This record gives sequence, structure tokens and C-alpha cells, in this order.
Amino acid sequence: MSLWTRLLCACRRRSPWIFHMNSGSCNGCDIELIASLTPRYDAEQLGVLLQGSPRHADILCVTGPVTQTAVSAVHTVYEQVCGPKAVVAIGSCPASTNAFIDSRVLVGPLDKHIPVDVYVPGCPPRPDAIVRGIAAAADILAERRDKTVASEAPVTSIANPEGARP
Amino acid sequence: MNLLTALARFFIFPGLLFAIPAAWLVLWIERKSVALLQQRIGPPFGQPFFDFVKLMGKSAPSRPGVNGVLMRAWPLIAVSASAGAVGLLPVLPTHGGFQGDLILLLALMEIPAICMIVAGFSSRSLFGEIGSAREAVLLVSYNLVFLLAAVSIAVSQHSFRLEALASATATPWRYLGLIAILICLPAKLHVNPFSLPNAEQEIYSGPMVEYAGFELALWQLSHGLEWIAGVGLVATLAIPPTPHLWLDVAGVLFLGLLIVLAISIIAAATARLAIDTTVRFYWQCTLAFAVLAISTTLLMRLRS
Amino acid sequence: MKIFGLLWNNLRRGVATLRFPEVPAMTDGFRGLVRFDPACCTGCAMCRFRCTARAITFTAAGKQFTWAYDPSQCTFCGRCVDGCKDHALTQDADCPPIYLSARGLRTSYTLQRKTPPPKSQPAPTRTTAQSGETHEQH
Repeated sequence: MSLWTRLLCACRRRSPWIFHMNSGSCNGCDIELIASLTPRYDAEQLGVLLQGSPRHADILCVTGPVTQTAVSAVHTVYEQVCGPKAVVAIGSCPASTNAFIDSRVLVGPLDKHIPVDVYVPGCPPRPDAIVRGIAAAADILAERRDKTVASEAPVTSIANPEGARP
Repeated sequence: MNLLTALARFFIFPGLLFAIPAAWLVLWIERKSVALLQQRIGPPFGQPFFDFVKLMGKSAPSRPGVNGVLMRAWPLIAVSASAGAVGLLPVLPTHGGFQGDLILLLALMEIPAICMIVAGFSSRSLFGEIGSAREAVLLVSYNLVFLLAAVSIAVSQHSFRLEALASATATPWRYLGLIAILICLPAKLHVNPFSLPNAEQEIYSGPMVEYAGFELALWQLSHGLEWIAGVGLVATLAIPPTPHLWLDVAGVLFLGLLIVLAISIIAAATARLAIDTTVRFYWQCTLAFAVLAISTTLLMRLRS
Repeated sequence: MKIFGLLWNNLRRGVATLRFPEVPAMTDGFRGLVRFDPACCTGCAMCRFRCTARAITFTAAGKQFTWAYDPSQCTFCGRCVDGCKDHALTQDADCPPIYLSARGLRTSYTLQRKTPPPKSQPAPTRTTAQSGETHEQH
């Protein structure tokens, strides 16, 4: 690895900028995510900044089971985040729709639509768990070579919900 | 002043080689002091440098329908204008600084703000337009005070040349003008309580909404250089000149650090003001202030 | 102007942040990951009935049954733990760990149904003559 690549990897790990996206959550996980930016847990000690625009961020933190009205927004925002990027699913809702499993307005867990890198379980997860999840995503981001592809897992789309899983 | 000195002044001190790390240092000092005032740890040292390198490694966004060349040009123009403004600062007036003009320095300091406004409009995004409109209103309101204060300083010293201003003995009117410039600095630097144009959650970062990667890194750099230029202008004009080179430099750096800390404390203490409150503040209080300053300097001029 | 006094107090009191990766002390009764003890379970499936999020799946086939738990589905409410009469389920007092692959942390156990232990004979308490069955007297 050249010197520049090593420097770039080190800087990617130290400067994970996040964008927070709510895809239909009850707001419990959103509140805990904002709590992780408060003085007690202070995600900024890792260089984390909450950005206003998806184009500025590296890590997309998604909460909520994906509702039908939110799914196109999730796709749009995921496309808008510039590579290399990572996705953190916060809470059990994006991982598996949690207690809303029988709901008619949901389109399934998040990894049916975008590739997810880190899952932070909890309902809601504690802020320190969220910070650990973001740190793990920053480590994954530092190793990522390709600027455009988010992960090596095959991407399942709306048209193909039962794509092959690793 | 020969070419070698000019090149040294432009590239080394107070030019690019000094200005860019100083910009990162000042951005870090601002973030760290705001964090410490909020009982947080804040970012580790060198965080703006890590941000810059990381942004350089991002891929270019696909923005269909937007003129990519134009979008890339604005941050470049902003960085070169603010780097030029930093280079023009009369840090060492008695030891051969640039033969600069106050008007040129003010123009160079205005260009990054104008670039931000145009960049917001050329991004063809609704949030960019709203942010640019807010930035334009802010620009009009604080510029009146800023330019009047600068003109009153120059009139009181009977000269617009920077090194003449820096090496002349100061009159009380100069300090009045400098205080007015200090009041305008938070608006110029987009910090609380006047951080409206780049409001993150309200308008998705305003004019910067469509920028990513290397262009965003250049915007952050121009923001840091604007800090250096604004704070440096006040610091270099406030410190009386001494015959010793190192005392001059140390004085300017020390006063600059104090001003950065003062602006950070005010940024930590206040919340973002809405646009009408901001405009009213600048037009009411400080317009009176600036009219007072310029009328007294003109009277002084007429009498002498 | 009081805000400057507040800021000065903040500066004097120092930093209140937990340095990463330090975590705050867990409160009493924190409900974390559900742990299964196969030695105690008798396969009544009460936990699957009580689970609100269908995190526990229970399939039975003859004398065998499979108990599976998916923490990504779990809402950590603790109804399964409260409903288990065999005390086979407990909850961690710790945060569930983060994981990197979908459906990581799934656990699944396949057990044989236990024959219920012979009922221990109660000591004869009746003093009437009808309780005179010989196999009850020891």
C-alpha cells in the first residue's frame, strides 16, 4: 500500500461523518442517536459530525422498519451518499422489522434494499452501543478500496427481494 | 521589494504554507473550545486535516442537469481569493510586507461569500437557493457596517495602504472601527449567532447541499482561510508596530488567538438567530455605530 | 449574561464525557440478550406464545424440538423470561453486541423432550382409614 493510501485509510477511520435517516421509526432510536452526540457520550471525540446533507456524509445511519412511503426515499438518499460509504442499521427495526412483522405497510428489513454493514441491536440501543457501531463502520470504511460499491454482499432490490445471501 | 521576497511572502509567511495549516489549526481551536465549554472532549488535534484528506478520497457525485465545471470553479475561486487575502495581511509592515491596498483586501474577503451565494444558485437545489438567499441578505446587512468601519479606519489615518495603516500610530477612532469589524466577524464566518446560511438541519446545509468530496474540502479550507483573514485583519491593525520582528509576529499571533477564542465563546453561548432578527441587529445597533465612526473621522479630517 | 456564567462553570467542572470505549455502569434490571439454558427447558413453548416480536421460534417433531432465537427480531421486553416456568431463560445485564452480518447472533438449539421425573411421594397426611394404600407408605 502506498503512503497516500495508508494516509487515506487512517483519515477515513478518524473522520466518519454521519447522516441520519428515519425510515418510519418510532423515534426511540433517533433520540438515542442524538443522545450519542451529547456531552456524556460525545461521538465527536471520534471525529463524528452529524451532517445536514447526504452528500457530505460517509456513513448512513438508518432507523426504522422501512415503510412503503419511505422506501424510495431510502434508495434516493443511499444513491446520494458519495462513495466510499457504509450503512449502519440502528435498532432491531431495520434489521428485521422487530415487533411490526405483520404490518401491511412495511417492505421488509433494510438489507432487502440497501447493503448494510453494521447492525446495532437494541430497542432502542444505548447511545454507547450506537457509538461503537459507528466506530465499527468507520473501521470497515477504512478498509474499503472501491469508491462506488458499499459492500461485497450482493445487493437485493425491490424487484428481487429474495436475493442470494452470503 | 524583490521577487524572492514577494514569493516568500506569498508562499511561505503569511502565504500558503503558513495559512493552510493555520486555517486547520484555527478550525480545530474553534471546535475544541466550543466542545470544552459544553463539557465535551471534542475532536482530537488535527481533526480538520483528517477531514480534508478524507474528503479528497471521496468519489465525485453524479449531479445530472447541473453544470459540473461551474460547480467546481466556485470553491477554487473562493480558496484563491481567501488565500490572497491572507497573503495581503500586513503582518510585518516595517519589514517589507506586500504593498497592499485596504480596498483590495476587502474585495478579496468578499469573494468567498459571493462564491457561496452563486454556488447555492448554480446547484439547482431548492435548499441551495434558500441558503443562498439567506446568505445574500446577511451579506448586505453586515457589509454595510464592515465597509463603513474599514473606510473610517482608513480615513482617520489618511491612507488606504495597508502597511501605512499598520505602521502608523493608532488613534482611538481606529479602535472604534476595529470593534465594529469584530462585531461583523461572526456573521462573516458563519458562526453562531449568525450561522443561518449553513444551517444543517433546517435547510440541509444550504448552499453546500450538492457539494461533495474534493470540492467540499476546498470549501472547508476557504472557510478556515476566511477565519485567518478576518481575525488577522483585526489583529494586525490593532497591534502597534515594534522595531523587533519576532515581537510583531508574536503579538499578532497572540491577539489573533484571543479573538478566535472570543468568537468561539460567543458561538458556544448563543443559538442561531433567525434572519429578521439578524438583519435588525446589524441595521439598528451597528449602523448607528458606523455612522458615528465615519462622521467623527470626516469631521476630524475637515478640521485638520 | 447568565450564559457566560454557565459556560465558565462548565469549563471549571471539566469534561463529563466517557472516553471511548468506556461504557456507563449498567442499571439494575437492564434487559439485554436472552440466554437459553437447554438443561432446564421442557418444551412448553410458552416463550414462543408470549413473544411479541416473533423472535423465538419453536418447532416440534415427535420427541425432538428446536428452539431458535433471533436477537435482530427481539425487542428485549422480557415477556419470555417472565413466562418461563422452568427458568430456562435469563436476560443479560449487558448491551447486546453489534454484529456485522444479517441474522448474526441467531442461536438455535435442538433438544430431546425430557420425560418428566417421577413425582416425589407426599408423606401421608390423612389419618382416616381410607388412606391405607400400601405403596404410599414408606
